[in-house]
Amino acid sequence: MAKYVLKRIGYMVIVFFVVSFLMYSIYNLIPTDPARAELEPLKMSLKPEEYEERYQQLRDEYGLDDPIPIRYARWMGFMKDKQTDTYHGMLQGYFGYSSLYKKDVSVVIPERMENTIFINIFSTILALAITIPLGIYCAVHKKGKVDNAVQVVTIIGYSIPVYIIALIFIWFFAVTFEIFPVSGSQTPGASYTGIRQFLDRLYYISLPVIVMTFGSLGGMTRYVRAAMIEALSMDYIRTARAKGLREKVVIYSHAWRNALLPVITVIISWFLGIFGGSVIIENTFGLNGMGALYYAGLMNRDYELALAIQMFYIVVSLIGQLVTDLSYGFVDPRVRIDK
Amino acid sequence: MKKENKIASFFGRLFGNRNKQLSFMEEEQLQSPTRMIVRNFMSNKLGMTGLIIFLCIFLFVMIGPKFFVLDLSYQDNTQTNVPPISTMLSVPDELDGNVKDITPGTTYGVGIDNDGKIYTWGYTRVTSVIDVGEIPKEVQKAHIEHIAAGYDHIAAIDDKGNVYVWGSDRLGQDRLPDKIVSAMNMKKNLNFKQLEAGFQFTAALTEDGYLYAWGNGNMADIEIKEEYQGRIEKIALTTYSCVALLDDGTVVYTGIKNNAIHDQMPEGLTNIVDISATGNTVAVVNENGKITIWGNISDGIDQVPEMAAKPVELYGGLKHYTALLENGEVISWGNDVHKQATVPAAVNEKDIETVFAGFYQNYAITTDGETETWGLKGYTLGTDDLGRDILTRLVNAGQVTMTVGAIAVVISLIIGIILGGIAGYFGGWTDMIVMRIAEVIGGLPFIPFAMILSAIIGTRISVEQRMYLIMVVLGVLSWPPTCRLIRAQILSQREQEYVTAAQAMGVREKSIVFRHILPNVLSLILVSATLDFATCMLTESTLSYLGFGIAPPTPTWGNMLNGANNSIVIQQYWWRWVFTAAIFGVCTICINLVGDALRDAVDPKSNGR
Repeated sequence: MAKYVLKRIGYMVIVFFVVSFLMYSIYNLIPTDPARAELEPLKMSLKPEEYEERYQQLRDEYGLDDPIPIRYARWMGFMKDKQTDTYHGMLQGYFGYSSLYKKDVSVVIPERMENTIFINIFSTILALAITIPLGIYCAVHKKGKVDNAVQVVTIIGYSIPVYIIALIFIWFFAVTFEIFPVSGSQTPGASYTGIRQFLDRLYYISLPVIVMTFGSLGGMTRYVRAAMIEALSMDYIRTARAKGLREKVVIYSHAWRNALLPVITVIISWFLGIFGGSVIIENTFGLNGMGALYYAGLMNRDYELALAIQMFYIVVSLIGQLVTDLSYGFVDPRVRIDK
Repeated sequence: MKKENKIASFFGRLFGNRNKQLSFMEEEQLQSPTRMIVRNFMSNKLGMTGLIIFLCIFLFVMIGPKFFVLDLSYQDNTQTNVPPISTMLSVPDELDGNVKDITPGTTYGVGIDNDGKIYTWGYTRVTSVIDVGEIPKEVQKAHIEHIAAGYDHIAAIDDKGNVYVWGSDRLGQDRLPDKIVSAMNMKKNLNFKQLEAGFQFTAALTEDGYLYAWGNGNMADIEIKEEYQGRIEKIALTTYSCVALLDDGTVVYTGIKNNAIHDQMPEGLTNIVDISATGNTVAVVNENGKITIWGNISDGIDQVPEMAAKPVELYGGLKHYTALLENGEVISWGNDVHKQATVPAAVNEKDIETVFAGFYQNYAITTDGETETWGLKGYTLGTDDLGRDILTRLVNAGQVTMTVGAIAVVISLIIGIILGGIAGYFGGWTDMIVMRIAEVIGGLPFIPFAMILSAIIGTRISVEQRMYLIMVVLGVLSWPPTCRLIRAQILSQREQEYVTAAQAMGVREKSIVFRHILPNVLSLILVSATLDFATCMLTESTLSYLGFGIAPPTPTWGNMLNGANNSIVIQQYWWRWVFTAAIFGVCTICINLVGDALRDAVDPKSNGR
């Protein structure tokens, strides 16, 4: 087991460096010149030769003319920074400087992440609480009226893009009936504290949470249903029924435990998505989360910020894959992952 | 019985049963897998409905662009946010037959009858708050003699010489000249004979040739040279300036600003009988019937068509002219986007007395008092914030969205099939590497990754190249599921006897994978391609919605919804998102239904036998 985990982690690290190198190379396609940007204000006061000399000196200082692998190593923190002669990169916890917020990226992110997690926890729990019982019910009553209806509704649910669902829900709940606010994350100008602030926040995130939940209902319900049908068609279910076990025991104890195996992997990747945040939902509802931050970074050409968040996404997805793989072994003792 | 046989044999022939009625056992043995899939699929009602609706939408967006030709550079700030409407030319019944004057507005019409009563029709809401259809009470009570509609205001004069202005007054549209105000206060009638309105300004001419102009002087040329006062016979207003016909048959520019109308005015215009103006040009006709046009020429407005008789009167819309000939015939020319320069045949069969033209509409009054109309009737699905017809964009956007989705799927299929085939057949290290790559790419959050690629690479390329970039990005990021499917299928097929037979015969490995195994898993590939198609369309539209996909003005269903997420658009301009969202939703639902039905049809387990 330990050997397998180590192997997986080793592989994960390799993949991380390969992908981050690719991302860094793509990022370097952007035609930027920090040296020129730095010198621009002084351009008028310098003679052309002097300017050229200073420019070359700065380029050299920043290491702009070095090949990409070396610059990548510096950015990552494997090699000493030319300017400061220290290790100053991703691995040391320096994620770059956000030109949009005029702050270090590592300062900007935590606050946004807190918002995102707050929203996603609610929607994930709500979605699981609906989809799992619904999926089980549909599988048990396969081809029944409820099942057919749910099948049609879920097809609609996962076919329609989530931003259209958001538009419809805003139109219905926020514009026509004015139950929820259209966008924002708290009442403007209000300075509530304690429980009042919490409730206010809850009120503002309700509509996004409903939309996110609705958007993920379709896929998850179908997934649970398929896994459950597969499990119910097994021989051991027939045996259990032949033994005269109560139907409830057959379904929840025999079938569901086996159906859980494929479902759990999806649930885990969902929980990891909590940190990522939805670019679409956060933008549509004007919420201050990771997704909106990423969007703002890209829109305002703050690529250092965007690259840092992208790196974060990659790490989250790699950890997600690892945890999913390992969870097979924990959920199902029949699976021996260290083979 | 006989009839039934006939039908059965017809279907038999249709599906290649060669007239032979098969027993259940024989049928089971002889049915080819493809035919079985087709039959299974046809028996699935939901899937068939989905297929039919999808095919309808597909034909609509593939053939539609030939009829709804899209001009990418087209914008029209007079036609912004118009709802679905088709009554812009519908003269009210009470007015029809009793018309004194009609003045077409941007998206509406205003008319007065011989009793001085005022009528409006069409879409009168010129901005989100101003509705020119809300006629002030005192105007409704008065006996209106003259009326003129500008871009966002309406001016009217009653029989006592009182001038009224309503609609937008933000930029001085209602700031009447002192002389008119004092005359109105002293209950003196200035005897107006002509009233015209342009962009945020109005001009009124009295019987004794005196011209008054008021409004937004920053944009429009509302100054009038004193030397022409008292000699003016008729005026014509372009969007921002005024040209007058003097009593000696010459034409002058009344203002003081230098613009194209002023600078390009030809020398020696004499014996002029009528003048008229579009938004940017002025046309005059002399007593010999010769038409002269100058200004900012566009849309071939200076290409006056051949005329059978002498033109006697000219009328100008925003981008077209209409002329009434001596023999009662009517001819239009200029911009024909809204069919405003296409005179219907029915009009020329009747005797036309006069024509009222403006913006994109024409109203011809016959000698019997009937009204004939041509031009912009309205928009089936409304217009967007730049005044573009949503139906046209919807149809063309569908074509783009579907093309992008299809090409992305093809790219992902090609990569997926090749890599999956290699991984599945060779196994070992190759398999390991390919599957690791697939895992990484499949595990990355799709939308953010596509966004950063599009944002970074997209800055260096043109709009069209960006469209190809999106296709490639979608294709390159979405192959892992296909690859995994093919690999799994090949792993199981590899153990089958026909592969062993092929190997024993010495068939090369490459052809075993791609010519023996692949055709056997083709149906599964079809299923996954169908579902991928929907996914690719969804992803493209999401990217475009966020502004990282295909860039406007090229329309896609996604970028048409960009900017719809605020409460004003959602509520007041509902037509800007409802139709697009509906057709897109229906389309993806149908594709998914088809995909699901196909999967059920292909999967032998679901046959229930």
